[in-house]
Amino acid sequence: MKLDRIDTTIIEMLKKNARTSLREIARKLHVSPDTVSSRFEKLEKQGFIVGSTIIIDPAKIGYSFITRFGINVKPAYSSQVLENIIKIPSVIVATKLVGQCDLIAISVIKDFQHLCRMRDTILEMPYVNNVDVSMWIKTMELCPYYFLI
Amino acid sequence: MPDKRIDSLDIKIIRLLQQNARASFKEIAAYSKNSSDTIKNRYNILLKNGIIRGSTIVIDPKKVGEGNLVMMGIKIVQPYSDSIINMIKKIPGICIVSRTIGIYDLEAIFILKDIEQIGATKETIEDFPQVKGVNVGIFVDKPLLCPKNFEFE
Repeated sequence: MKLDRIDTTIIEMLKKNARTSLREIARKLHVSPDTVSSRFEKLEKQGFIVGSTIIIDPAKIGYSFITRFGINVKPAYSSQVLENIIKIPSVIVATKLVGQCDLIAISVIKDFQHLCRMRDTILEMPYVNNVDVSMWIKTMELCPYYFLI
Repeated sequence: MPDKRIDSLDIKIIRLLQQNARASFKEIAAYSKNSSDTIKNRYNILLKNGIIRGSTIVIDPKKVGEGNLVMMGIKIVQPYSDSIINMIKKIPGICIVSRTIGIYDLEAIFILKDIEQIGATKETIEDFPQVKGVNVGIFVDKPLLCPKNFEFE
């Protein structure tokens, strides 16, 4: 399916504010609200739009920094480990990676003790070989839409 | 410490919106057994206090044709200044850049179309003065986002 101007406008506007009403998008596009509504449903159904969420300021709810974990696992077990990692509270993004490590997880962290606990939790998972930790300081988010930080 | 201004109703609102940012105030009201006005009020306060910074849709970058998410771990000759971060900030496709404590000195995440662009971006960074090396990691599959996991205490 090729996306046209209507589809991309819907995506762009909702990326900036998921609560924009479909009527408002229709007004901007000079099309009927029904058109926008049926396009929106189609985009959802075909998996272009996976869902919607709000962006929370982690500092306001007691988190102090972001950490990236690089995880090396026993070959062929990456999916299984990923499933466990995604269940850890405070993990924001986790994915398989082609590169130095097999999986990465980006997480919000409360304090140093929390960081140590997180690292231990991951290390104790079956099939995990090792974990490297990288603490993000002075993070600049230029396009936070992909990362719900 | 968590913000003292958040109570259990706020958390309910946040939880629901994390899973569906397009939920109407009416839906949230029905779910939390409150009036729509109360919910609207609370939502606006959460926005005003910066606890909710905004909302967005989660898209599949590959389907939308935006390509791959790529992480670059960058090693730099110490000491280094913010000027290198400012240079990285200007590279097309940049998503996030951060100073880090760990195996790299800087980490950046890009959205790049294809292998050629990944290669070109890596070379651009390597050409910057002070850069010792760049390590590339390409995200496979859809990154799994799990914002609903945030803990409140």
